[in-house]
Amino acid sequence: VGRCGALRIMLADQGQEWKEVVVDFPEWMKGTLKSTCVFGQLPKFQDGDLVLFQSNAILRHLGRKHDAYGKDGDEAALVDMMCDGVEDFRLKYVKMIYQEYDTGKDTYIKDLPNHLDKFEAVLAKNKTGFLVGNKSSFADYNLFDLLLNHLVLSSTCLDSFPSLKSFVEKMSARPKIKAFLDSEAYKKLPINGNGKQGFLR
Amino acid sequence: MGPYTITYFAVRGRCGALRIMLADQGQEWKEVVVDFPEWMKGTLKSTCVFGQLPKFQDGDLVLFQSNAILRHLGRKHDAYGKDGDEAALVDMMCDGVEDFRLKYVKMIYQEYDTGKDTYIKDLPNHLDKFEAVLAKNKTGFLVGNKSSFADYNLFDLLLNHLVLSSTCLDSFPSLKSFVEKMSARPKIKAFLDSEAYKKLPINGNGKQ
Repeated sequence: VGRCGALRIMLADQGQEWKEVVVDFPEWMKGTLKSTCVFGQLPKFQDGDLVLFQSNAILRHLGRKHDAYGKDGDEAALVDMMCDGVEDFRLKYVKMIYQEYDTGKDTYIKDLPNHLDKFEAVLAKNKTGFLVGNKSSFADYNLFDLLLNHLVLSSTCLDSFPSLKSFVEKMSARPKIKAFLDSEAYKKLPINGNGKQGFLR
Repeated sequence: MGPYTITYFAVRGRCGALRIMLADQGQEWKEVVVDFPEWMKGTLKSTCVFGQLPKFQDGDLVLFQSNAILRHLGRKHDAYGKDGDEAALVDMMCDGVEDFRLKYVKMIYQEYDTGKDTYIKDLPNHLDKFEAVLAKNKTGFLVGNKSSFADYNLFDLLLNHLVLSSTCLDSFPSLKSFVEKMSARPKIKAFLDSEAYKKLPINGNGKQ
């Protein structure tokens, strides 16, 4: 799932179809594909002739194309800000998963409220069920994916955050998202590459 | 446009790129300087969406997250590519600069004494990505044929690296030329020569 979780959920919710090219690790280590990647990393995203790297650049591109980037320039700036906040949180999650899982998982879970409270406050203030304005943006899909990861890590972590809990429930209930989360394509993929916090179901 | 206000600590840090961009775009702005003891009291911090600075004001709009500020200025000052496809490429390049900045910041704040030499030795593995993009694009900019916020972000980060290691760009002709050309743009040159710029340390811990 990794850094494609949010963008797949976004594509699904926007009623889009897409093709998956799966790269296995031994193949990646040979370096042929890697040398064609602008920063030597995946994911790689193609929209016709446009080839993109960087998961957040992909989210922004989809935001532009599918009117999920706020209603005007000011909202767009707030969507950017929220997505960057999600990215900061994702970096902490990824660091714990890949570098400190065995020794650091419990401390990380204890510290979660200090990160969750920021998003709780924004949702509680906005009252629309979305981070910015009154429709979904790529920042919402990004936060939703990251919260799903955290619920696997700690199923009670949102219990004292009613707006976040409601946000996850509402996003999960959107018909196309629900269908995607119920699909084999989604369920068969582990969240992370090192197998920590394994499958979602 | 504006009025623009930057609220930040007395460093270049994560405002370096956006100040250079504002200067190059002929904009004026106000600086509200926060000293660390004041910050630690927590009053301002509790009003910041993620508990962090910089804080940026454009009239009634209040923004946090340095890259969101850069994107906002990119939209306002036509520095975000010429169309949707270029905008996506500008986003990609800026995200690549951010990844590189995170490594720099980690070394500066956590591993300077023990890790600086290794970091400098490893620099070509990061610089080569940007060298390749500039060499391929040939316009002197990362994307298309005009400056974008990704260019200002990379330029600021490269200036920091030249302080760390004055020879680090010597085997990267496109990067070297990029820095020279950006530095020579009249409004950028004036800003880099100003007291306002020169008096600020790059980082909050005095390491550079």
